[in-house]
Amino acid sequence: MTGAVWQRLDGPVTFALPLGALGILALLVAANVGVLATSLLTGTYPIDLAGVLATLFANPPSETAETVVWDFRFPRSLAAAMTGALFALSGAVLQNVTRNPLADPSLVGVSQGAGFAVVAVMIAFPGIGLGWRPLLAFGGALAVAALIQWIAMQRTGGATMRFILTGIGVAAFITAGTNTLLTYGDIDRAIAALGWLAGSVHAAGWGEVRSLALCILLCTPALVWAARPMAALRFGPEVATGLGIAVRRDRIILITLSVALAAFAVAAVGPLGFVGLVAPHIARRIARSGVGLHLALSAATGALMVSLADLLGRALFAPVQIPAGLVTAVIGVPVFVWLILRSQARSQL
Amino acid sequence: MSKAAGPAQAQVARFRKSTCLSVSGLAVDYGTTRIIFDLDFAVEAGQVTIVVGPNGCGKSTLLKAMARILRPAKGAVLLDREPVHHQPTRKIARRIALLPQGPVAPEGLTVRELVSQGRFPHQSLIRQWSREDARAVAEAMAAADVTEFADRRVSDLSGGQRQRCWIAMVLAQETEILLLDEPTTFLDLKVQVELMQLLHGIAHGAGRTLVIVMHELNVAAAFADRLVMMKDGAIVAEGPVREVFTTGNLSRIFGLDAVVLMDPESGRPVCVPRTDLARPVAAQ
Amino acid sequence: MTAVMRQGLMGGGALLAIGALTLAFGWHIAVGAKAIPLLTVAEAVFSPDPESFDHVVIRDLRLPRAVFAVLVGAALAVAGALMQGVTRNPLAEPGLLGLLSGASFAVVMAVGVFDLATTAVVPLIAAAGALGAAVIVWTIAVSAPGGATPLTLVLSGAAVTAFLAALISIANLLDEDTFENLRVWLTGTLAGRPPGILIWTLPWFAAGLLVAVAVARQVTALAMGDETATGLGVDVTRLKALVLFAVVSLTASAVAIAGPMAFVGLIVPHAVRLIVGHDYRMIVPFSALFGATFLLLTDIAARMVLAPVEISTGIVTALLGAPFFVWLVRARL
Repeated sequence: MTGAVWQRLDGPVTFALPLGALGILALLVAANVGVLATSLLTGTYPIDLAGVLATLFANPPSETAETVVWDFRFPRSLAAAMTGALFALSGAVLQNVTRNPLADPSLVGVSQGAGFAVVAVMIAFPGIGLGWRPLLAFGGALAVAALIQWIAMQRTGGATMRFILTGIGVAAFITAGTNTLLTYGDIDRAIAALGWLAGSVHAAGWGEVRSLALCILLCTPALVWAARPMAALRFGPEVATGLGIAVRRDRIILITLSVALAAFAVAAVGPLGFVGLVAPHIARRIARSGVGLHLALSAATGALMVSLADLLGRALFAPVQIPAGLVTAVIGVPVFVWLILRSQARSQL
Repeated sequence: MSKAAGPAQAQVARFRKSTCLSVSGLAVDYGTTRIIFDLDFAVEAGQVTIVVGPNGCGKSTLLKAMARILRPAKGAVLLDREPVHHQPTRKIARRIALLPQGPVAPEGLTVRELVSQGRFPHQSLIRQWSREDARAVAEAMAAADVTEFADRRVSDLSGGQRQRCWIAMVLAQETEILLLDEPTTFLDLKVQVELMQLLHGIAHGAGRTLVIVMHELNVAAAFADRLVMMKDGAIVAEGPVREVFTTGNLSRIFGLDAVVLMDPESGRPVCVPRTDLARPVAAQ
Repeated sequence: MTAVMRQGLMGGGALLAIGALTLAFGWHIAVGAKAIPLLTVAEAVFSPDPESFDHVVIRDLRLPRAVFAVLVGAALAVAGALMQGVTRNPLAEPGLLGLLSGASFAVVMAVGVFDLATTAVVPLIAAAGALGAAVIVWTIAVSAPGGATPLTLVLSGAAVTAFLAALISIANLLDEDTFENLRVWLTGTLAGRPPGILIWTLPWFAAGLLVAVAVARQVTALAMGDETATGLGVDVTRLKALVLFAVVSLTASAVAIAGPMAFVGLIVPHAVRLIVGHDYRMIVPFSALFGATFLLLTDIAARMVLAPVEISTGIVTALLGAPFFVWLVRARL
């Protein structure tokens, strides 16, 4: 913790926060606002900044402008940023609690479990309301997480490696299951589900934004609490016990939290790969900080990643729209490879 | 070190209360196998107690049970006559610190960040980093002699330096009792001796109680105040080093045919294993 | 057990395996929208009657599909067996290590972007893609700390697969019409493949299988470690190049026919090893026989389980293979 620190050492409330990381967090937030503005301006319908601002303050220059900016572009961009933040937070918590730099909700099948549950119900009960999606996704994701943990924990030693490989196997199985449903199910509904499964935010409206905002609101107190046990669990279960952590209980809570974060994001936009894997690592590279601040940095990074991915996907091959999930995969895989190359052999095996 | 002597003196008063960590009727299972059977044992306050025994004798299991990593199948670990497994784990963490075997620091962590982690049980959501924490970390780093590489990454240090950082971390926890599991394993003899000197000083300078598990017999004999010898999940011999570290016990517990000599310099026993090669030389 | 007895047992085992394959083959043809008696199947194969509707259905539709299943199953199983031996990794398989994705990606790009739709070159393109993916995955895995462990190999395979899958999806979105036909093929299917492709894939299949049989004895030595194998007089570099050739040709022939069919190369060799032990002179031929039988049965299941709807065969192999993979991770690592 070299460099300037903003601290308060006496009194009932004490803290020490590195100014560098706080500055970078502010920069990331500013970048998010910038990308949001750019994405409001980007698209086939031309509109200038003044028009956008007027629309946002309920004084649209034209009715088309109101529809395009307020009903399409704005909720979509907000949904992109919020899901990015959720996936990043989920990945950060999962990497921490499994002590595995490669853990990612979409690599180990958690996102796929959420997707499967939603597709299954969409095909079986087509009339079901959108409001149920987050709960369904959460149920599916939690079941998968429990399954992986149960399988990987059957034997001691090398648990890190088994966790990730088990997750890859479970993910493959669930993907095949989802594909079966799509074959079997009514073709129209299957196609609707298919678009959602590509990880696209383009259909997101105010309904998604509202439920995402609610999820973030619900998870924030849990995340504030989580920073402390996460800090101790980084050192492994034994050191954490020595430092006064109820390891078993806190681990279960943290994994549930991570699963909930990923599931809520999946419910809104479908499984969006590699954000949860990559964002926490980028956040760690760009600023040194403690665990709590790192969570905030990861969220901001993830939000920026998905916003940018969505913007790129819209702009690159316009009028064809590439789902943000495909863009994050193309960007995320090289980072993933880089992580494989530099991960310490010792911590892996 | 003269700077550190002041606070160290002050700590004597802080830690030398009649702490009592003991084990009563303890049985511990690992999976379905019982490792420790009905064990009674009390740790002497302000002393270095070293637990030795052949591989698989249950010495690490005993330490883990005392550190509440393993739950007892029967009996209890008592701190001031209260079972530790029934108390809030954070409350215990302010009185008992643990250094497990072969701990791994997260990638890229600096020494200062690692040592600061020792303050964990004294902090809370709103009390994140106080003047008290800063003082304890500075003292702990000085005591373990790691201040000079405070801002280096733990992963860049040598094995001995890294272990000193971990010791600094448990020191920063400022507990009256420290439990250490094989703190010197895989280190050169010279580094082992330096570390044990540091730990011995911590007990006698600051009046803390140390329980150390290790398998290097001669190092244990050189630094222990009290020795505990375990075999097959039970304590076979226990007491001051000179009473316990005998030819008979070494042969009974370790199956080791050895001569025990007295080091004239320190007055501590040393064991020299008998070998076939030695006999003809001795006979001459 | 004497060598003679052992050979006798193996001979008996081979006869049994061939018998099972023949039965599965007949059953595969008999099953379908209209069940056809096995006797008619035999007649259609050995003395076809151009007037009989059943015979025409069998010869034009069902027989090619059964032959494809045999070819693809055998190719993937042998490729998997060789990969497991050479990388000394129980999790090695053309799908998990990215070869199937590489081959599919190359074919999709060739057909979709460069309009190279000639059946003749499809296996060649698939081979190039599989080779590229194999080299990339292997390079990543050996450069990782700790070398090419099961974990690093599977992770780099997953990375390459995810990357190529995203690119395929993007290409698909950019040109939906061209990709209409490829979409089903990309899930791994034996349905509706043009019989003409058989002539163009057969040489690749034959070459790969021939090399596999020829190097089998040396692979047994290599499975004990590079250094041990060198000590036993094996030219390790040359052997690895030959095995790579065999794996790539076999994978290419399978992908050209059926698209990426995951996990066949994982399940079959392990089952074979349980029965015949660790000698690759046995593992290679038995993997071919078992692989063919396995895929015939899987394809029957794909057509029957949700009839009249048909599931892609690749989905069924994944449903069977993924739990097996999880079990392997638990039991072997």
